[in-house]
Amino acid sequence: MVSPNMGEHGGSGDGYRVLGMLLSGPVFYGGIGWLLDFWLHTSWIFPLGLIGGVGAGVYLVIARYGRSE
Amino acid sequence: MPGLIGLLIPLEWTACAAEESHSEGFAPGVASFCARPLFPELGEQFSWLNNVLAQAVIGTILVIAFWLWVSSRQKVVPGKRQFFGELAYNFIRNGIARDMLGHDYRKFLPYLVALFSFILVNNLFGQFFVFMFPTFSKIGYAWALAALTFLLYNGVGIYKHGFLKYLKNNTIPAGVPAWIYPLIVPLEFLSNFVIRPITLGLRLFANLFGGHLVILVFVVGGTLLLTTTEELAGKPIWLLQTAGGFSLVFSFALFALELFVSVMQAYIFTVLTAQYVATALADEH
Repeated sequence: MVSPNMGEHGGSGDGYRVLGMLLSGPVFYGGIGWLLDFWLHTSWIFPLGLIGGVGAGVYLVIARYGRSE
Repeated sequence: MPGLIGLLIPLEWTACAAEESHSEGFAPGVASFCARPLFPELGEQFSWLNNVLAQAVIGTILVIAFWLWVSSRQKVVPGKRQFFGELAYNFIRNGIARDMLGHDYRKFLPYLVALFSFILVNNLFGQFFVFMFPTFSKIGYAWALAALTFLLYNGVGIYKHGFLKYLKNNTIPAGVPAWIYPLIVPLEFLSNFVIRPITLGLRLFANLFGGHLVILVFVVGGTLLLTTTEELAGKPIWLLQTAGGFSLVFSFALFALELFVSVMQAYIFTVLTAQYVATALADEH
């Protein structure tokens, strides 16, 4: 449980936090996909990683902020 | 890829190296942000003593002098000077620190007050006479502040929870089934320890860099057009001069916008620092 005053404040701070989470998905999985494409000489893993990464980022945001307790 | 790297290392480095070989007059561009050494006669090893460093130091002195001035000779019934000082102090204390950090906000208040006033003063240097240059449009200065905040929030987090528990708090979100951890943990790590400091520094730098560049284009370009004496690209002189006049008048609106951006960026940097510290201290997410 988060104590009432800690990290529960809404506004621009949370907005930037969500933005960071959404960014981290495509950056990480897109990066892995790009590297795999680079090594395996393919071209389909990078877009797959990007899309999967966006999905994972959205899931992360929902897991953190979407719960209504 | 070079474009991406150019964002992360001092952007104007190549431009400044190019400018030394051939000067292109005063067309505004990345080279307008090159630092000028204060004592060029001392040679290359003293080139770090430049105008940007000087204004950062002067900004520091101004901030220290301001807080000493408003906090000296305090009375129970505040005068104008003390009232103004308390207003500024309470803005950070109540508006940012207590809001974000809860009951143990006091420990971090000095850092937040210093951070806000330092960024604000250095940003305002971009809009006022004497300097006319925002210190944080040099990316190295923005990185230094971001690094300081990065060390602070990780430091207090590790100090409070211990290294492993802090790492666990910041990589494993609560309420997520265990089988999904491999998918989420790298993202949480990246978002909390890599993207946070990078966006913190870039946001401050890019806002001031972009704003200052736009102002340069409007003022320098407007002056150039207003004082033109020959036809350019088939346009008559009166049209060029009118356009220059409009551009100069409109630059005042941009100055007003930059004034707002300066205050806004100082505020956002402080709010985010407080928020990062708050989440580092929080027991669980």
